[in-house]
Amino acid sequence: MHVVRGIRGTLQPFWVTLRNMFRKPVTVQYPEEKQQLPERYRARLILTRDPDGAERCVACHLCSAACPVDCISMQAVEAEDGRRYAAWFRINFTRCIFCGLCTEACPTLAIQVTADFELAGRDLLKLVYEKEDLLVDHCGTNSNYNFYRQSGIGVSAPRGRNPGEAPPADVKDLMP
Amino acid sequence: MSESLVTLALIAVKLGLIFAVILFMAAYLVLAERKILGRMQLRYGPNRTGPFGLMQPLADVIKLLTKEDFVPARADKWLFLLAPGITAVTALLVFAVVPFGPTREIFGQQVPLVVVDLNIGVLYVLGVSSMAVYGVVLGGWASNSKYSLLGGVRGLSQMISYELSLGLSLVPVIMMARSFSLTDIVMAQQNLPFLLLNPVAFGVFFICVLAESNRIPFDLPEAENELVGGFHTEYSGMRFGLFFVGEYINMVVLGSLLTVFFLGGWHGPWLPPLAWFLIKVLAVCAMFIWIRASMPRLRYDQLMNLGWKILLPLSLLNILVTGAVLLGWG
Amino acid sequence: MITLTADIVRSTNKKLTMPTLTIDNQTITVPEGKTILEAAEALGIVVPHFCYHKDLGAVGSCRMCAVTVHTGPMPGLKMACLIPVEEGMVVTTGDDASATFRERVGEWLMLNHPHDCPVCDEGGECQLQEMTISSGHGIRRYKGDKGTYTNQDLGPYVAQEMNRCIQCYRCARTYKDYCGGRDFGVMGSRNRVFFGRFKDGMLESDFSGNLVDVCPTGVFTDRTFRFKSRSWDLEQADSVCPHCAVGCATIPGGRLRELQRVCSGDNPQVNASFICDRGRFGSGYASHPERPRQARHKDQNISVEDALTLLESQIRTAVQQHGPEAVLLLGSDRASLETNWLLQRTAKHFGCRVPVLNAHARRHQTAQIAAFDFSDRLASLEDVRNSDLVLVFGVDPLAEAPLLALALRQMVRKQGRVLLYDPRPVELPCEFDHQAFSPAGLQELLENGGVEGRHLRDLLGQAQRPVIVAGADLLGPLGLQSLHAWASGASNAERSCQVYPVLAGANSFGTALLSLPEQDDLLTRLESGKVKALICVETDPLLEAPHGERFSAALAQVDNLVVMDYLPTPLSTNAGLFIPTCPPVEDSGTFINNEGRLRRFRQVIKPGLSLARTGAGEHPSREFTLITPGGDPLPAALVLQRLIRQEQELSELHRHLAEDQPRLKELPTITPGAPGKRVKPAVTRPQKTDKLPEQPAGTFQLVVSPARYGSDLFSRFAAKLAPRLTSTRLYLHPDDLFERGLKDGEKAVVETDFGSFRLTVASRPGMAAGCALVENNGDCPQLIPGAGLSYCHIAPGGADE
Repeated sequence: MHVVRGIRGTLQPFWVTLRNMFRKPVTVQYPEEKQQLPERYRARLILTRDPDGAERCVACHLCSAACPVDCISMQAVEAEDGRRYAAWFRINFTRCIFCGLCTEACPTLAIQVTADFELAGRDLLKLVYEKEDLLVDHCGTNSNYNFYRQSGIGVSAPRGRNPGEAPPADVKDLMP
Repeated sequence: MSESLVTLALIAVKLGLIFAVILFMAAYLVLAERKILGRMQLRYGPNRTGPFGLMQPLADVIKLLTKEDFVPARADKWLFLLAPGITAVTALLVFAVVPFGPTREIFGQQVPLVVVDLNIGVLYVLGVSSMAVYGVVLGGWASNSKYSLLGGVRGLSQMISYELSLGLSLVPVIMMARSFSLTDIVMAQQNLPFLLLNPVAFGVFFICVLAESNRIPFDLPEAENELVGGFHTEYSGMRFGLFFVGEYINMVVLGSLLTVFFLGGWHGPWLPPLAWFLIKVLAVCAMFIWIRASMPRLRYDQLMNLGWKILLPLSLLNILVTGAVLLGWG
Repeated sequence: MITLTADIVRSTNKKLTMPTLTIDNQTITVPEGKTILEAAEALGIVVPHFCYHKDLGAVGSCRMCAVTVHTGPMPGLKMACLIPVEEGMVVTTGDDASATFRERVGEWLMLNHPHDCPVCDEGGECQLQEMTISSGHGIRRYKGDKGTYTNQDLGPYVAQEMNRCIQCYRCARTYKDYCGGRDFGVMGSRNRVFFGRFKDGMLESDFSGNLVDVCPTGVFTDRTFRFKSRSWDLEQADSVCPHCAVGCATIPGGRLRELQRVCSGDNPQVNASFICDRGRFGSGYASHPERPRQARHKDQNISVEDALTLLESQIRTAVQQHGPEAVLLLGSDRASLETNWLLQRTAKHFGCRVPVLNAHARRHQTAQIAAFDFSDRLASLEDVRNSDLVLVFGVDPLAEAPLLALALRQMVRKQGRVLLYDPRPVELPCEFDHQAFSPAGLQELLENGGVEGRHLRDLLGQAQRPVIVAGADLLGPLGLQSLHAWASGASNAERSCQVYPVLAGANSFGTALLSLPEQDDLLTRLESGKVKALICVETDPLLEAPHGERFSAALAQVDNLVVMDYLPTPLSTNAGLFIPTCPPVEDSGTFINNEGRLRRFRQVIKPGLSLARTGAGEHPSREFTLITPGGDPLPAALVLQRLIRQEQELSELHRHLAEDQPRLKELPTITPGAPGKRVKPAVTRPQKTDKLPEQPAGTFQLVVSPARYGSDLFSRFAAKLAPRLTSTRLYLHPDDLFERGLKDGEKAVVETDFGSFRLTVASRPGMAAGCALVENNGDCPQLIPGAGLSYCHIAPGGADE
């Protein structure tokens, strides 16, 4: 039995490969033919905006920490209203391996992937994207999410007025 | 004087021809392998350079020649530079004794279609082909890289193990042909190829040839997915190309040897002898490719088990049996 | 079996018992009095906790460190931080009961915690994040609203975000209990507990920055570091604070070639785990906009290599033509030990006379007394913390050695007593007896004693662990020598009376230890007229030594002025040949602090113009080059090694240094971040003399005191400290003020030996009468502390223009 299985196991692949010789290849001839990419295909990254039109990115550095090839860098600054945002935000697509870990790390759903994979070029510098190249004018997926409404630091609404928040405590009140 | 000059000239012409043919065959074997592998894996293979990708070998050569010739830091420079040459040259040298057709008369000269017909051709073949391992070992050692070194060590032990069975599997052939000359061996198969007379020897020899040429399922010295290319990890440009081409020259040469020893050389009905020879060699090469498409790589222990525990006893037994049979026949 | 050795056990009468207990099947022996939490920590078992802090102790308010105790009269769930270990105790940390308890605690601690980690500066080094995850809590089940607070503006250094608070009380315990601050505390009741000031305003304590370090979550964050970097992106290394001679352990952090923050390191012998605000927020000098970063010859920018070639030829020519006196190498108490020693080597290499290692001759002399005479009785700050009687002579701790003030507070909290004798109206964050003695009075007290002196000596003799704190600047060599006599007199066979000298520069002790006792001072050698080339390494005598006008005059006779520095001092702009060097954060080296402790620091960042400046807030340049802008400066030690063509690894250099200086034998074994070891006691004792000038009639004793901020050059060039800088005033005792007919806020002209100054007068009741107190900072750079006793005339300065 053992021997028979061994012989079958050795010969069967020859039959499979031989049969494949006479089948039509599945290759898509890329520049001439184009494949329909899946909806969640991971390619070029974008920075989305929240429903109110403000930048979602708070420059928390989590994407750059998650990035296995260190292709994301940024600098956070504070706006007048206390909002934290990126003064500059750079993704070096010559390094990016499109693993999508940054989008999974992003707590504000700011950084998202698109299906635009055709990033090849001869000038490497053109693949170093700055914030203005990355920022888009829509919400991407999750069109309702606004981080500052959930975080409770009084940016999009005064402190204690966001959903699920009690009004600020009166600390000089000694009533039990 | 003039006769020896003519002989020399003839040898030179033959050498040139053989060089050209073998290199051409090696180059297009690469393409053929990639095409066939592709089709067997439901792909097209190279199809962009020239019609049906036929210019691919040329493009590859140009690419390899224009790449940086990289020598790793603290590598043994001279050995590192030398090693690819050894692989390619030894493979070519073996072909010196391979007869690829019957003696012909050209311009009134008896021209044997072999570069030199040595009367100890088989020994020469075994000796020179076992030199090929130096390319692998020295390349692996000189690279000063752990992957390369592992590849080199594997190559060395693999070749030592299979060299034995390779040699022993030829003993029955010599016994049957009663000669060490390759031409004589081919002549002895005029009626019946040794493949049919002694299939066991053929089987052992075929497996050993696969192992000698470092091809799947015996490509442990390269083992891309564990050793990142093994002995040639650190090579680039045309030096890598020499290793690469050496492997395919080896395929052609070993295919020719297989043809000579077991498939009856140029003998065959209807077609001219040279054509038969070519067809047989190409068939062997096609078989190599088909095996590559269909079989996984052996594990190291399996490789050693197969070599020492199966092939070696089998070939020894085969010698005994063949001897006994020949003795019985008279 | 692991044995935890007691750090320092001072209880002498009782014999120490060492209980052995079992935690999670591992056995450990610890000194009595340690808690389960500390024992577990020593075993490497992590018990989540918030309110426990190594130096603050435990209060058991967070309930996070629950473990199960299986033995004893009352087994069950206990708070590990509160239960002292007992012999044969069996404890588990991972059992169901305690793990579930901790998870529940984690859950309710997170009830009101906002989801703002992405915009919180604590993220990445947040104990709450770590402990919540280790407790196992993940999803909030409570559906009620989250409580919120209104934040306070606590000034430019500390940012508050009260929503994140988990009520561990660490901040109040640090600020009020440990540091003695009075303007911060707990307010409110039940779930409205609030930690802050009564109203908005800058935190007054000089140790306010420690709130940032101790807060286990993001309630208090460093405002000067706000949103600048994540902790994981920072380049950090163990370093030593260069601002004063205490030598606190710090961990500076930099990113994008900018030194962005300084955190407290941990050195149980020196600063425990706290530092002062001067050290924490005074790091701007490294990226000062005017910091010279380019080697320069006359007005021409040149490369460092060319500068070195030029320097070598200048030195060789000068020595050949004018002899070994012609080249004067000047070291500095803010340069590392290695740099100063290499200066001596350089002098030997070129055959010039021994270098002067400190431009301030009198400070150098006093430092030598500390480094030689006191070397067998030096106290560490930990000794001060554990002392029962500290006599402080001529020190204003908050200005000269802030962590000393904290150490004094800790000893007072342990029922110790502090007696302070100083002409200044000294403030301390603890109870102490202050006697305002004028500088001359102090000398008199120390030399002859009288009734007060005898009383003090009696006290010293009776104390268990007495420490004398000696202010080198004010007492001078004479005073220090008198104190040495006091200390030896108060020592007996059982214990020695220790001395904690307060020196001026981070490496004052080191320069004193290296230099030969009989050397001439800088001005004597310059004014001899023999010096043709002066090479100042990381020092500016104009700002760091008195008699700047004499120095300037003598400079005119010098042909070549060579300066190596990293601060934009006036001398470096006037130098004929300038070579840029690196501050301690960009260099690896050694300082020796007040207590003779070798303190190693490691390079934190590489020199270069910060991205914030080259990019002007925008993204980094899109042109890629291999050259770092402003990356020319080299560590001074390296510059000197290249000059004498002997480049060595630091470890090799240390080996040579230890061979050369037997007292530094331990140097090669010391690593950055370790507590560091003391230098060996000295064998020789150089004698110093100091003449007290006679007081002319109608004059005041001039007391020049370093300002708390802006006196040392580091803090003067640190932009972040600007809100804390004070303007220079002339402080007088109210009686003197009245006698002279002056009023608070009027202008007066002070005629001193160092020039005359027109200053605003202020009355300070706490100070000694007959003294004129001026604080040294950027306003009056000519007045340098530690110049010795001198007198000044004060005249009304008329109305403002």
